[in-house]
Amino acid sequence: MLRFLQWFCPPALVEGIEGDLLEAFEYDLKEVGAKRARLRFIWSVLRFFRLEIILRNRFSIQFINTIMWGNYFKVATRNMAKRKLYSFINAIGLSIGIAFCVLIYLYVEDEKSFDQFHHNKDQIYRLNESSYSVWAAQRGEDPMHKSAYLPLPLGTAMKDEIPEIKYLTRFNDGATAIFRYEDKVFTERITFVESDFFKMFSFPILAGSADQLFKDKHEIVLTPEIATKYFGKDDPMGKIITLDLQGEKQFTVTGLIEAPPSNSSLSFKILVSTENQFSYERNREQWGNFSYPTFIQLHQNANLTDLKQKADKLIEQKMGDRLERWRKDGNIPEGYPVFELTYTNLADIHLDTEVSWEKVSDPKYSWILGGIALLIILIASINYISLALTTSASRKIEVGIRKVVGAQKKQLVSQFGMESMVLAFVSLLIGLSLAFLFLPAFNEFTGKGIVMGDTNLIRLIGVAFTTAMVVGLIAGSYPALFLSGFLPAAVLKGGFTSKLSAGFTKPLVVFQFFLSASMIICSVIMNRQMEFVATKDLGFDHEQVLVIPTQTGWNEEADKVVEQFRNKLNTETSVVHVAGTSSSFNQGWSRYGYKIKEENKSAYVYRVDPAYAGLLNLEFIDGRNFDESIASDSTGIIINEALARDMGWKNPLDEYLNWREDSVGLGSKVIGVVKDYHFLSLERDIEPMFLSMDKKNTGYLTTMLVKLSPGEISDKLERVKKAWTELYPDKPFDYTFMDQDVANQYQTYKRWMKITSLSTSFAIFIACLGLFGLAGINAINRTKEIGIRKVMGAELSNIFVMLNKQYIWLAIIAFALAAPVSWYVMNKWLGSFKYAIPMSWELFAVSMLTGLVLALLTVSYHAIKAALINPAETLKYE
Amino acid sequence: MGKEYLGEFEELVLTMVGILGEEAYGNAIVQEIKERLGREANLSAVHVTLYRLEDKGHVKSRMGGASSTRGGRRKRIFTITNAGVAMLKVMKEARTDLWKLVPQLKVVSV
Repeated sequence: MLRFLQWFCPPALVEGIEGDLLEAFEYDLKEVGAKRARLRFIWSVLRFFRLEIILRNRFSIQFINTIMWGNYFKVATRNMAKRKLYSFINAIGLSIGIAFCVLIYLYVEDEKSFDQFHHNKDQIYRLNESSYSVWAAQRGEDPMHKSAYLPLPLGTAMKDEIPEIKYLTRFNDGATAIFRYEDKVFTERITFVESDFFKMFSFPILAGSADQLFKDKHEIVLTPEIATKYFGKDDPMGKIITLDLQGEKQFTVTGLIEAPPSNSSLSFKILVSTENQFSYERNREQWGNFSYPTFIQLHQNANLTDLKQKADKLIEQKMGDRLERWRKDGNIPEGYPVFELTYTNLADIHLDTEVSWEKVSDPKYSWILGGIALLIILIASINYISLALTTSASRKIEVGIRKVVGAQKKQLVSQFGMESMVLAFVSLLIGLSLAFLFLPAFNEFTGKGIVMGDTNLIRLIGVAFTTAMVVGLIAGSYPALFLSGFLPAAVLKGGFTSKLSAGFTKPLVVFQFFLSASMIICSVIMNRQMEFVATKDLGFDHEQVLVIPTQTGWNEEADKVVEQFRNKLNTETSVVHVAGTSSSFNQGWSRYGYKIKEENKSAYVYRVDPAYAGLLNLEFIDGRNFDESIASDSTGIIINEALARDMGWKNPLDEYLNWREDSVGLGSKVIGVVKDYHFLSLERDIEPMFLSMDKKNTGYLTTMLVKLSPGEISDKLERVKKAWTELYPDKPFDYTFMDQDVANQYQTYKRWMKITSLSTSFAIFIACLGLFGLAGINAINRTKEIGIRKVMGAELSNIFVMLNKQYIWLAIIAFALAAPVSWYVMNKWLGSFKYAIPMSWELFAVSMLTGLVLALLTVSYHAIKAALINPAETLKYE
Repeated sequence: MGKEYLGEFEELVLTMVGILGEEAYGNAIVQEIKERLGREANLSAVHVTLYRLEDKGHVKSRMGGASSTRGGRRKRIFTITNAGVAMLKVMKEARTDLWKLVPQLKVVSV
């Protein structure tokens, strides 16, 4: 502690301060006991670390130091050139670390930059509804569920009656429609907005006028990409195209708008007025239909609190009766609002994980990435420290001579500090180029579209520079202090052994190994889980199945398309089944809530046809499949085991499920029970579900499943496509593969697994490099010892074991530390899956073995080399 | 810099230096403040204040004799200078003058 004081305190003052501190310590020793006295002492010393003391230092000595800097630089470069391997190990480690830091900085910046480009961003808010969810309450979660979807008339009323609101627009994304211009027909994503949209948001309008757009219902605004796709080089303005939105309609292109950048929460390609949305006219008076995300812009000096009060009053006035009824029907306890309006500022949308929205992201990913970067930097720094310490032997004489000639300790510290700085800056250059190189791959991993622009380039270099500085200082300071501390007399007298003596390196290596080991264990477990997810028997057959949207919209036509297509493919030998469903796997679901005997229940519902169960190869454990020829089957249902369990049915075939709360009839007759299968992702339990043929109440067959015969797919796909274009020349043939849809459910996990695997391999690589260097130095240190041992008759294997023993021990200790930590972390991660692999000891054993083998391989090279040297070579100079 | 000014704590420490005479060093001042005012002063704060007072010329310091109790370290003894005494006097008078201007201030029922 006093050394610390001497370090920062001006020499003239040290004695008086030290004396006072010691006196106070002795006094405390008597008054409060040894333990408290020591604590107080440390605290008092720390309190002296203040500017008024530090600034009393005279800085003149440092000027003298600068004279030597040229020399230090020369020595630093010479040293690096002399020890190419170690310089290489250090530089590679640090550069990878810096590259990671840069990339992660870009990631975090991109997250923060979301929606910042709108001029009016401070005045724009997205409205959210917050409502009481009975399901969530039953599960013991926070019952207030937030969503961005609002009733259509609410927005209209707010704009009319609340003066604070300057602009208001709905924003409905995700609909698709068939877009046709002359012979070009494709399915396109359509976004519905209102005229205020163009005045509120700062997406540049390339053609047309923001004030005039969407005055007419049949206007359409395109992004340049779409315009070129359909019109080539022609001017798109004024062109008339056909869109199939519940029937074909003609639209005139009246504007061109720049496509939103990748860091925009609102994305779109084609904009059409909300009025064209399905059942817009009907929904205008529907206060109970929550399906319109709504954005408002306040007047420059309007106050959000005023607005809130007025909006709450408005809701009470317009929806009061309805809310009371909902409270009664839904059994919503007093004290919870049935429906409440909340506001999210445009700039906060991206990180607001409470409300689901496109691209919304959890800030925790930034933290995870940051943590990974830190780990890699740490491992690289440890490499530097331990290598510098163990090579110190060869620089002892240099230190001795310098001191004899008159170098002060401070000068030596700055010399060695300089060396690590030179290294850090070499790494900085390599690291920056690595970051440029890795950026495309990184974008792919994280699903981002980051580009290196001019503006962030300067800040980026700043970040890399700071990282290099900090690492250079931290990693360089300990070796610098250690090396400069040699006593010249002891060093120059000779006779010292050059064995590695720095005890500090071992804990460092253990720590480094601990980090790598934790990462190995985590990535092994993550890989296993993803493998499990990919190969688990889901209870249905999803191989060789094409998923084709019927492209008709939500109507009777859809059912006919399935029928027609089935007949068309009847003769096709490569097609086994054709079935229809309301939604395929990972393409959405619908869930109905119903009350039975005063109890709230719910089930997932799929509209299917009789071919469905056969196509998916569902296993019936009771009852039978649907049969088109039995008329009553149209209201019958096939349930899964979970539903039977949920209802407590012993003989499900005798039961009726009154899911429509029909007061007259009994409900739907159960005609079959299928074995539970995973119709949702493995993150969730298998919940109650039933299949129905009731088109009136469960919807239309908007998706068609086509099962191909086993074997090569491409020409079969070609034949299906041909059949489609023959039948429906004006409809695009869009398709996905069901097994891919199913796999896509785990895309985020896969992405993160890839990132962790990649960074784990980097971390291990750097750690191994460091170990390789250490083992090399150790072997050189002990060359003579090995020579003598060999002369005395030691076997090659003895020497091999002798050299490697200590590293194996270090690795085992590190693993013992890493196991509980990674167990804890992975336990949390696996908790997000309802179906997870057990964390068995063999997973840990496998990881440990991998780690040990890696470590052993790394150190063995030097051990074998050292063990093979002819003792005559090493001992001839003695 | 115009008229010199002392902060409350500076004035307190300066007074203590005056009171303690030949025995004014960091720890003694901390103890003295504690005993006379019941106030816990931090050693580093006292030191910093003393150095500042020295910069301003209100105290001067020298190293005292060695003793065995303080780990062999000598004390830095501070003594008040004439300028320091003058400063204290000016401040005290200024305060008294101001006090007189406060109309019939009485301590009402303790």
